[in-house]
Amino acid sequence: MSSVKQSAIWNLETRHLLLPKLGHEASECEDFIAFDTQTGRFAVTDGATEAFDARNWARRLAQHWVENESALTPEEFREWVAAEGRELHESWSGLSLSWYSEEKARTGSFAALAGIELNLESDSALWKAIALGDTCFLHYRDGNLLKSLPVSRSESFNSAPVLVASDASMHEASMGSVVIDSGSCNDGDILLLLSDAMACWFLERSERNDLDPNCLFKTKGDEELKQFFNDERLAGRMRNDDLAMLRIEIAQRRVG
Amino acid sequence: MYSAQITRANPTCIVLLIDQSGSMADPFSGDSSRKKSDFVAEVVNHTLHDLVIRCTKTEEVRNYYHVAVIGYGRHVGTCFSAELGARQMVPIAQVADYPLQVKSSYKRVSDGAGGWVEIPVRYPVWIHPASDGKTPMCEALTRVKEILERWLLDHPKGFPPTVLHLTDGESSDGDPNEIGQQIMSLGTDDGSVLLFNCHISTRRAAKAEYPIDERALPDGFARSLFQMSSRLPANFLSAAAQLGVNVMEGSRGFVFNGDPSSIVQFYEIGTSLTGMTPYRWMDDDRRSELA
Repeated sequence: MSSVKQSAIWNLETRHLLLPKLGHEASECEDFIAFDTQTGRFAVTDGATEAFDARNWARRLAQHWVENESALTPEEFREWVAAEGRELHESWSGLSLSWYSEEKARTGSFAALAGIELNLESDSALWKAIALGDTCFLHYRDGNLLKSLPVSRSESFNSAPVLVASDASMHEASMGSVVIDSGSCNDGDILLLLSDAMACWFLERSERNDLDPNCLFKTKGDEELKQFFNDERLAGRMRNDDLAMLRIEIAQRRVG
Repeated sequence: MYSAQITRANPTCIVLLIDQSGSMADPFSGDSSRKKSDFVAEVVNHTLHDLVIRCTKTEEVRNYYHVAVIGYGRHVGTCFSAELGARQMVPIAQVADYPLQVKSSYKRVSDGAGGWVEIPVRYPVWIHPASDGKTPMCEALTRVKEILERWLLDHPKGFPPTVLHLTDGESSDGDPNEIGQQIMSLGTDDGSVLLFNCHISTRRAAKAEYPIDERALPDGFARSLFQMSSRLPANFLSAAAQLGVNVMEGSRGFVFNGDPSSIVQFYEIGTSLTGMTPYRWMDDDRRSELA
């Protein structure tokens, strides 16, 4: 799916893809994408499979981060996560849970989050990014990878990243791992927000100079793109995980 | 090998094989207050709790694992009873739904601000301690082989079964090596069955943990158990390293003359499967008491 937004200077074209694990229903997908091209806020989240209510936590984080106007400094992010976590835990009160759900709920929920905010109002298109976990932000220019955060190498993905925890007692341990950065875009730059399996796949190919993200998306329609990533997972070239991809192409408006 | 994703369509199985002979009623060396059988039952119940929690998706338990708990002593057979007693191999969702009882207690945890708080916790119990009779290890391993052969007929693909065998003494019905080798020759398209052995001792004797060869082992029984222990695949080596256990490429899933802390680690490493972070159910302060 795609959409276009224009400012006085910049065009913004977005496209996104969300796929559940092979063999799973869409309703089981724990990755979420949220964006608002008017405010220039974009987020991808990935609920931790083993966590309690991870789907709701990931959805809440993605949607509310985009609706928010701040949470781009460590202090704002900490306060915002704490408030979201309290609301999530309050939504569980009164539930009649089995012993195992009760045990699971006690440690709260976990998700990875990467969010960016774009400022397209000046001559320079600026981005600010925040990430915690292994959902990633990638910035490409002319087919070359300029920036990848919070994970910068494909071999750095592991099964136990520090995630956004809903339980306040976990915040102290996790907030030190928050990555915040900013930068500017040139005409034609591509920004990607990707959940972990997708990010790992992009980084592997970028490390081998074996990927032009422009080419990949320009030549394939939505169904072709879905089939392409299904084939990659079936062939074992990509981990069989939920996949979320939000692609933003920045272009200068042509006058005349 | 040993890299298949564990899913509901391709579950794996875990067999916990427990020596319940009369000698398991003896205490550990230096701790006369606690029988080995009591401690092992506690660890097995915690391990089952861990497996259930790993498979819990909010309010559903997904059948990523099928589990058997087989005891041997006066009898050889499943340690499950009541609703779970009719089958040798039980999907984890059924294990979750049918503990014999769920005890409530409190656990001390960090409050995140430098202090401690007590939180309520639930301890389900599936098996009770048992210790009676001889040590029919060969008969027990034969039973495990039969269970695995049946299970593998329906599950030829996916992560292979793991057998975690715990004993405190020598076999009373012959050398278990041959039947152990037969179990290790079974497998799926992702690898051979993993057979890990943990021998625990009443005496204070030098323990051997995850050795790569037989040289330091004291006798023929130890060497026999070593030979019927699988090499730890990479994911298990990684889990062991995370727990601070000294392992290397070629280390066998084998402990000899283990103590209580060896038992806890043996189950943590043995259920780490596809590189999962080992679940540390025992508090660090209590863990250090065992060491």
